[in-house]
Amino acid sequence: MSATEETIKDTIVKIVHCDREILTPTATFQDMKADSLDMVQVLVALEDEFGIEIPDEDAQKFQNFGDFVAYVEARVAEKGSA
Amino acid sequence: MLKGKVALVTGSSRGIGRAIALKLAEQGADVIINFFRRRQAAEQTAKDVESLGVTAKVIKANVGDPEKIDEMFDIISSSFGRLDIFINNAASGLPRSALDLDTKGWDWTMDINAKAFLLCTQRAVKLMEGRGGKIVTISSLGSYLVLPGYVAIGVSKAALEALTRYLAIELAPKGICVNTVAASLVPTETGMLYARGGQQEESSPWQTTPAGRLVAPEDVANVVAFLCSEEAFMIRGQIIIVDGGTSLVPFSLMSKGG
Repeated sequence: MSATEETIKDTIVKIVHCDREILTPTATFQDMKADSLDMVQVLVALEDEFGIEIPDEDAQKFQNFGDFVAYVEARVAEKGSA
Repeated sequence: MLKGKVALVTGSSRGIGRAIALKLAEQGADVIINFFRRRQAAEQTAKDVESLGVTAKVIKANVGDPEKIDEMFDIISSSFGRLDIFINNAASGLPRSALDLDTKGWDWTMDINAKAFLLCTQRAVKLMEGRGGKIVTISSLGSYLVLPGYVAIGVSKAALEALTRYLAIELAPKGICVNTVAASLVPTETGMLYARGGQQEESSPWQTTPAGRLVAPEDVANVVAFLCSEEAFMIRGQIIIVDGGTSLVPFSLMSKGG
């Protein structure tokens, strides 16, 4: 598990107050019982944490936690190589 | 009419904010397009503003975060060095009843809808100092009517309207006009979510107004543009209602199809 994924999990658990164990690649945002405000706050916290941007146009395409992690890892990698 | 003026419109990637940005651009103002979550939509608004022959600048900032407000105004300050028009349009909130509201939802709504107006105005005034300016904020009928699931936003809009009056008087000696435009339902993506009481599927009880149709974003933008003109110089601290007469006829809110 990558350090990025760990940070994403920490952030979701802190904001959504869900169990860390449910954050598997196939977990959906419904599984986390996150409302729309929770999700925006998670995205904003991760944007600040990693210095990346996760616009709603992209975030709306995430089907599950796995998609979310893959997207953030790609943005972090892009930033590192820029 | 607004040629050479620099305008900031918060939350102008879409909906009412976008219509205001385009209207001010049409009148000759350079426009700063602030957005929070919709980058592509903001870039499109900027493109459409530029096609009107003026300058557009896109700045991402969550106006609910005081640090981000400062960063946005630092960019405006270094890019333009001044500001003539500030439109406080950005808004957010969750459809909830009062008993279902938690502190997180309350604070989020208040920070973006009400506190940001104060903090942005404090920074905007520094860029207007010595030349005067126009400040307009966007409210809704929910500041005094009770709408389903709208309590936090309604209260935040009531705060905005009260703040409008205080700012209008405090800033009057500086030649800065402060007013509010309050609309009934405008069928934008966000507007429709609230019209359905937060439900995705249910149809809205808001079908029309006594004027024969719902309020369009452009109806709000037209009034905002007037308040930004010199013709409106003596209008201070007022709440201008744009609702096709809806608030005067309570029954119009309850009937489907008017």
